[in-house]
Amino acid sequence: MTTPDPFTIEVIRHGLTQAAEEMSLTVMRAARSPLLREAGDLSSAITDADGLLIAQGRDIPMHMGVMSFTVQEFLKHVPADRLAPGDVWFLNLPEIGGNHLPDVKTIRPVFHDGRPVAYAVSLAHWADIGGAVPGSYVPHATDAWQEGVRMPPFRLFHADGPDREKLDMLLANLRGPAEREGDILAQAAACRGAVERIDAMIARHGAETLRLAIAALHDRSARQMEEALACLPQGTFHGEDFLDDDGHGGPPTAVRVAVTLSNGRARFDFTGTDDAVPGPLNTTRFIAAAGAYYAAKALAGPDIQPNGGLYRQLDIITRPGSLLDPPPDLPVVGGNHETAQRIADAIFLAFRDVLPERLTAGGPTTSGLLLFAGRDSRDRWTTLYEVHGGGEGGQADRDGMPVVRVHMANVMNTPVEVIEQDYPLAVERHALRRGSGGAGRHKGGEGLIRTYRCTGDNVSLTTMFERRIVPPYGLAGGQPGAPFRVTLERADGETLELSGKTHVTLQRGDRVTLESCGGGGWGEPGNTTTSKEPTP
Amino acid sequence: MTPRGWRVGIDVGGTFTDIVAVSADGRVASAKATTDTADALAALGQCLSAIGLDWEAVGDLVHGTTRITNAIVEGRLAPVTLIATEGFADVLAIGRQNRRNLYDLSVPPKATPLVPEEGRLEVTERVGPDGAVQVPLEKATITRVVAAVAASGAEAVAVCLLHAYANADHEKALGAALEKTHNHIALSHAISPEAREYERTATTVLSAAVMPSAETYLRQLGDGLPGGINLHMVQSNGGMASPEAMASKPLGLAMSGPAAGVTAVAAVVRDLRIDLALAFDMGGTTTDVSLVRDGEVSITTQRPIGDTPVRQPMVDVRSVGAGGGSIAAVQAGGLTVGPASAGAEPGPAAYGRGGTRATVTDANLALGYLGDGAELGAGNVSLDRAAAQGVVGVIAKELGVDPDAAALGIHRIANAAMARAVQTVTVERGIDARAATLIAYGGAGPIHAVSLARELDIARVVVPRMSSVFSALGCLTARPFYQQQTSFLMQSDAWDTVRLERVIADQAAMLSTALLNAGHARRDLMTEVTALVRYAGQSYAVEVPLDDSGDAQALGRAFLARHTELYGYTTDEIWEIEALRIGVGLKESRNSLISVNSGSGTTATRSETPCLFADAGWVMTPRHDRGSLSTGDRIEGPAIIEDRWSTVVLPPGATLDVTDAGDLLIEVGS
Repeated sequence: MTTPDPFTIEVIRHGLTQAAEEMSLTVMRAARSPLLREAGDLSSAITDADGLLIAQGRDIPMHMGVMSFTVQEFLKHVPADRLAPGDVWFLNLPEIGGNHLPDVKTIRPVFHDGRPVAYAVSLAHWADIGGAVPGSYVPHATDAWQEGVRMPPFRLFHADGPDREKLDMLLANLRGPAEREGDILAQAAACRGAVERIDAMIARHGAETLRLAIAALHDRSARQMEEALACLPQGTFHGEDFLDDDGHGGPPTAVRVAVTLSNGRARFDFTGTDDAVPGPLNTTRFIAAAGAYYAAKALAGPDIQPNGGLYRQLDIITRPGSLLDPPPDLPVVGGNHETAQRIADAIFLAFRDVLPERLTAGGPTTSGLLLFAGRDSRDRWTTLYEVHGGGEGGQADRDGMPVVRVHMANVMNTPVEVIEQDYPLAVERHALRRGSGGAGRHKGGEGLIRTYRCTGDNVSLTTMFERRIVPPYGLAGGQPGAPFRVTLERADGETLELSGKTHVTLQRGDRVTLESCGGGGWGEPGNTTTSKEPTP
Repeated sequence: MTPRGWRVGIDVGGTFTDIVAVSADGRVASAKATTDTADALAALGQCLSAIGLDWEAVGDLVHGTTRITNAIVEGRLAPVTLIATEGFADVLAIGRQNRRNLYDLSVPPKATPLVPEEGRLEVTERVGPDGAVQVPLEKATITRVVAAVAASGAEAVAVCLLHAYANADHEKALGAALEKTHNHIALSHAISPEAREYERTATTVLSAAVMPSAETYLRQLGDGLPGGINLHMVQSNGGMASPEAMASKPLGLAMSGPAAGVTAVAAVVRDLRIDLALAFDMGGTTTDVSLVRDGEVSITTQRPIGDTPVRQPMVDVRSVGAGGGSIAAVQAGGLTVGPASAGAEPGPAAYGRGGTRATVTDANLALGYLGDGAELGAGNVSLDRAAAQGVVGVIAKELGVDPDAAALGIHRIANAAMARAVQTVTVERGIDARAATLIAYGGAGPIHAVSLARELDIARVVVPRMSSVFSALGCLTARPFYQQQTSFLMQSDAWDTVRLERVIADQAAMLSTALLNAGHARRDLMTEVTALVRYAGQSYAVEVPLDDSGDAQALGRAFLARHTELYGYTTDEIWEIEALRIGVGLKESRNSLISVNSGSGTTATRSETPCLFADAGWVMTPRHDRGSLSTGDRIEGPAIIEDRWSTVVLPPGATLDVTDAGDLLIEVGS
């Protein structure tokens, strides 16, 4: 059979994309935990029979890059002949196409003629995955087991529903089992919906046409990426950026990359990156790839349909033993969003001299995470996983915007009115952090100030943020943005600045003030054309 | 002519104004004209004379308008001063902190706030989520801030205090003080009494920002219309409202135009006894799709307009960027259609106004569906088939396919994009689209309806009576109906029927005011309540009608049934009401639907022209004048049914029946 006509291919592209977008909608609507339903820390994808990503929801770049590996790695451990229609497999091991334990992936095969022809994949951040600290961010973790339940691929649902014993085994190891069960069912529901969509497409177009159309979509994106990469400056460019520390308060840790552009391909060589660290800032080679995928797409072709074909043009090299390819027993929980952003920054910085007009100055490339956990009036665990945006960096033609998420992340905030309804917290202030944007011809956006007051007893607080020591960079002569700062004021007046990776217990009346970083400026300050708020 | 005997519906859209009028003795007249925005009242009068009436003949005028929508989208908004709780003046600038475009760094990540920094004021006060006052609002504070508002010189004021949905006393106190000096005040608890401060603030500020122009417009109409005419506005929820009610809540008009069309669909499907229908309105740039279930329109409170969340009950219309003007483009050997559009200017190449890129309309002309030389609209555009074939030929050449394949392909891809909108509205509500009937109206809807239905495995299409002036018809079918959604938390294990009934009664009393003022008797009013129910801890609620009993068990059973429909599972956990959507309308409710008197005699075939269909190739296809169709006529595809404003394409295998009311029922076949 020959390649389908271009119209059928486009019709199939619409159908697959719709199926992936519907998955995210279903998880958001049916999930139980606020992190999913309010903040949308989830992603969805469809892959082909080989596990290559073919469609994604409008989700989070960090997840998407990782999910392009998840099914491929899964199939190395679970051969396709072990799968059955109606299966939903769960996994979260970082070394099997993963990133960190809280991001749990579910995989459901789409069967035709007795064989899987595609996979629906749902990724959702579970508000707790067990481990030493509520919320499963363990700043002081020294090994992987302290971070929570480790799930190699296992079949949690059969065609006739969940495997109750396995589900109970899993839930027994998590805080907030009822909430978690709701999230699990939501992910399974999303996969079920996608499979119905793809079944219908197979009935309409035929499995072989679908397969060939998917191959053609891969080829199209590959060709577009090849052309786009050829338009960038050719050669090898070096970039580096630094984490604040090694996760345990040690010295700044470097992510280094050599980007080689030639013949329509891009090679990202992270060999020069520092060694793995003792604290939970290590991350996986899948995250390294996700960072490179994101940066390549942003630089070369924002509009190219992201899929396995686009990624085919990119080579990622990591060094075993390094921060980006650590031994499997080291902790990784923060690396997922902190080190991931540093990877993107290092790549952008490689182009600071040759493509400054395409770049955005340094921004809030950190989750700015405060993770509050406590028990509610019914004595159930409740967890507020709150990420905080900061000022966007300036660009060649405009100022940065205040308080946004940039690059690898795009999770929303939780409304203050929802926080005060659902958690033992009051928010006293939620405002722009004026003066935090870096000066420049186009100045960086302002960061955020939020003051939380604890209204309960024994509320656990974990921090996981960066850009406290190494501030967001300026570009082309612009000034850096103000660094991140989190201050704890005890009810008795004692005040201390919290580090970016710490765990404390709050008591009634304690206040935590978060000041997120401002964006870096772009261009020499001086004859500035700044306005208070940039207009698009 | 009976004095004041006519009910008149006029829908003023961006391009066209539609009018439908019906007399007390059942005579019907309709017309379509180009929208004249310069003098609104004069334009309405001209419409009326187009059907041979003058104002003396009119008893009721029901008016839908895109004026407010356009003001929002085009940013023609009054400056607003915002009063917020101390520490929260920047809520608008912070938003939800997510960005619009994931990969394109050049796109500003979010919209600039409607109120600049200097217009954002704070007051010392604090209410908790339970409504308890934590920090009182002092009189001196009120005095100070009212002076600051006066100094700001802003035309409109928005007040949005934290947790005002739980206790509105502070907002009311500020409102009372501001009233002495300001005309345009929007208080958040009155506009959108629901939790989530960013969305409530954005909605309240937008409401204030459109207040001056809405009031001016409504006053012009009120002052300009001769006495004795009852003016009604069509609201976003498809109900009618008094101009006075809309002056204080102008966002109620934000979706007035689309709502009128969907309301007409609801009336038609009730008449035809269709349980599940999809309203399908394909225009030049976008296609709007909406679900109508058991004759009721679907309501949402979550839809943004432009960049602003607008948390008001409105007809749940989903738009996709695919319409007649959507541009086909070749990229790396693939073909995409839309969302870029040639719009009305320059329009498709076939318009001969300088359009050089192939659009969906060009493809439909090349396929023979639209007639060569046909005059469109008010007669200022005539279609040039050769021009359409030329631009479609360019696409074909780039793709290396023959021009016929390219034209069919563009038509198909437009269908695929529109199919996504259909799937979104049905999936979100747990419904199988295949069981629905597609109701096609608007300029281009009937061209694509049958092929789109086949793509979706939908068996039946209806092109309703008066489909080209359908929104005006919708104006005439609307009933007086006021609606509000309000936060209300109650868990199934702490049920309190008294509290529930009290909230419903309070809201209903507030909503009844406009109806009572309009002279309706209290006994003629009825209250409809939808509970938004979820498991404790979920965020997206399921809509469940609440019957009169307020019975927790009945509501619980209905919730579990809906949850299973939507997500395929339920659990044993406690559930809760998150919000109540309360509506008050007239019992006798709906005006009966107008029928179009069909002609008699045999259907006249104007001509036969070749048309290209996906499975049949080029076929000589009869073209019928829609006006010549008679009740009981049956037409087998291929056929084209056309009038001045729209074209129905009936491919081979489809069958069309004409009802006595003038609807075209189509079995799409295959």
